[in-house]
Amino acid sequence: MNCTLSHAKPDWNAYVLGEMDRAERQRIEAHASACTGCQQDLAATRLTLDSMAALREEEIPRRIAFVSDKVFEPSFWQKDWWRKMFLRPSFAGGALIAGAVLAHGWMRPPVAVAPPPAVDVAAIEAQVSQKLQAQVNESVQAAVKQAVAVTRQQDDRRTATLLAAAERRYAETTEMLSKQVTRMYAMNSGVGVR
Amino acid sequence: MIFREVEDRDLIARTRRGDVEAYNLLVSRWEKRVFNYLLRLVNHREDAMDVAQEVFLKAYQGLVKLEDPDRFSAWLFRIAHNEAFSLLRKRRPEGDMPAESAAFGRASTMMPLETSLAVERALMELTEDHREAVLLKVYQGFKFEEMAEILGCPVSTVKSRVYAGFEQLKQTLAPVSGRAVEKIS
Repeated sequence: MNCTLSHAKPDWNAYVLGEMDRAERQRIEAHASACTGCQQDLAATRLTLDSMAALREEEIPRRIAFVSDKVFEPSFWQKDWWRKMFLRPSFAGGALIAGAVLAHGWMRPPVAVAPPPAVDVAAIEAQVSQKLQAQVNESVQAAVKQAVAVTRQQDDRRTATLLAAAERRYAETTEMLSKQVTRMYAMNSGVGVR
Repeated sequence: MIFREVEDRDLIARTRRGDVEAYNLLVSRWEKRVFNYLLRLVNHREDAMDVAQEVFLKAYQGLVKLEDPDRFSAWLFRIAHNEAFSLLRKRRPEGDMPAESAAFGRASTMMPLETSLAVERALMELTEDHREAVLLKVYQGFKFEEMAEILGCPVSTVKSRVYAGFEQLKQTLAPVSGRAVEKIS
């Protein structure tokens, strides 16, 4: 049977599914009370919904397994004991003081420290080289002086030996010449010579 | 419902702090609803179970990103919707219904009410989009705005899917409803 409201037929689906505001519900209920077609539509719609309600809800075959799954293990930051520990007054106080000390240390202006003097490596090298050269020179001079002294002593001894030998030969030659002169003189004068 | 939402929010907060047991409780509250929603969508008990497992795993991993804990249910079903349709897309090239499709029917035949069997079959005759819309509206009780969030489409599309699906169910179930009317009268 048709509804008398040909242009604004009530939406009984929305009505039974609860998707209609109160004013609209009251309006179509008032209309249905006098419209046989709408009464039949509403009854059919309600019966459909009632039939659907007979569908049995199935029991889940087994519980969802997740408790033993490692992926559900909370991370260190998610674990509750960590939060509880942090929220303890003693721990929180200690953490606050430690934080203040660290913040103070971090925010304190840096103490001016004189930069270390620049090291002149070249100058140090020159100085060391100079000292080393002086020591070498001193050692060489001492060695040369000693060598010269030794050589001079040796030369003096040799000169003295040669001079002594020369004087001895000179004395011997002089004595021999003197004897020859005396013998020649004696021979020429006939005195004392036979 | 308000009391439950408050408790869910509390469980979510505890889970975010690393309390695994809180999440355990949260899962125990929602697993049956999510499983049934998935079961009606994918029509395969083991697949529904596997997808439900994946849904709660992803929910746990993404719980930190949930901005409004009061929207947990819509957010959870959004994950379930994505996972279910991911599975359905994988199935499509094969073109076959899952092997256990009949098992769903067999389980239902154990039920005394003929109506329940008829409803199950009528639901399976709907398209996936229409079936999901009806499931979320009729069986999970979501508002159209929440469904738009879950399905990732405009509210107008949601309404269109729900009403089209519901209208088709009305036609399919008319004989059953008629018998029910006869029994009542």
